Amino acid sequence: MQCSKCGNPKVIYKREQSGQILCKECFIESIEKKVIKTIKKEKLLDKGDKVLVALSGGKDSVTTLEILNSFRKRHIIDICAVTVDEGIANYRQAGVDIATRHAERLGIEHKVVSLKEDYGITLDEIMQRENHKGSCTYCGVFRRTIINKAAREMGATKIATGHNLDDEVQAIMMNYLEGNTDNLTKLGAKTESKADEFTVKIKPLREIPEREIGLYVVAKELEVHFDSCPYAMQSFRGEISDVMNQLAEKHPTIKYSTLRGYEKIKKILKDEMQKDYAHGRCKRCGEPSSNELCKACSFLEELGL
Amino acid sequence: MSFLLKYKQIEEEREIPDENYTIKDLLDEMELSPQTMVSKQNGELVIEDTVIEDGDEIQLVQIIYGG
Repeated sequence: MQCSKCGNPKVIYKREQSGQILCKECFIESIEKKVIKTIKKEKLLDKGDKVLVALSGGKDSVTTLEILNSFRKRHIIDICAVTVDEGIANYRQAGVDIATRHAERLGIEHKVVSLKEDYGITLDEIMQRENHKGSCTYCGVFRRTIINKAAREMGATKIATGHNLDDEVQAIMMNYLEGNTDNLTKLGAKTESKADEFTVKIKPLREIPEREIGLYVVAKELEVHFDSCPYAMQSFRGEISDVMNQLAEKHPTIKYSTLRGYEKIKKILKDEMQKDYAHGRCKRCGEPSSNELCKACSFLEELGL
Repeated sequence: MSFLLKYKQIEEEREIPDENYTIKDLLDEMELSPQTMVSKQNGELVIEDTVIEDGDEIQLVQIIYGG
């Protein structure tokens, strides 16, 4: 057995969807080229951008940082990073430390923002309350708000997240199966909001399968936090993920075809289904909101904070 | 005929049951999905079809976690 590209007999990966067999060097190069292709095709970066990487220290965000850094080295963009410390004992600190070390290694501006400092409560403390709405609900909303605020404070023009092919396909299938056409119109490689205060979000890893990102960080010997969030549970997303992975065993291209199919109907979906939100301000924090209170503040009020 | 298995906290000598015993066979035996793991043979990344040899050090790294 030898590498389909260079003939090296030391192969590390069999790409089921294309039949390619790759050695370490050709595998790493293939991932980096694919991400750069997505960035160009979807016009994710503009010269002079300051990109804020949402850096958890996990494999997806570290890969995003690593590949975007090649644009920084060529002086096309500048990069900064933010890490959100949700306050999850025996889990988050390891990721925060790894994120900090990557930022130091690359010499980029990095900020760690904790839920405790910003909102006066940790996720662990929220989960001890009775009638909480589930960890992921709070975590998602607070994290999004913190990252948006950090982008404005750090003068970022784009926010890059580590969403991979599996994440995107799960989102497409979940929203479709739940009949959530509104959310279905919002997916994509680049999401822009009409409110100026919301920085444009980009997903450079959107066409890379999760497993290939895991292999990429191991092959490149990048330090990452491989661990499971203690609050991870069998969610609907998890069920969709299991179904898609099961289908992919017999149909290796199915995740790509799901994404392509969505891309084909996306414009029609947007034209027909996209809601035009009234853009007001949250009366409590002043962040853009279509309601009197933004989601984060409505949770804070419910929590008596 | 044996190999050293390293996986999370596990570090143990295991017998090689037959001469064409692959990393895929080991993963199946341990009920681990190849989709969530990468494997190293004597410190170098390899594919799951790799046959385990006498004296090998096989390290398994979980790269995908739920949630």
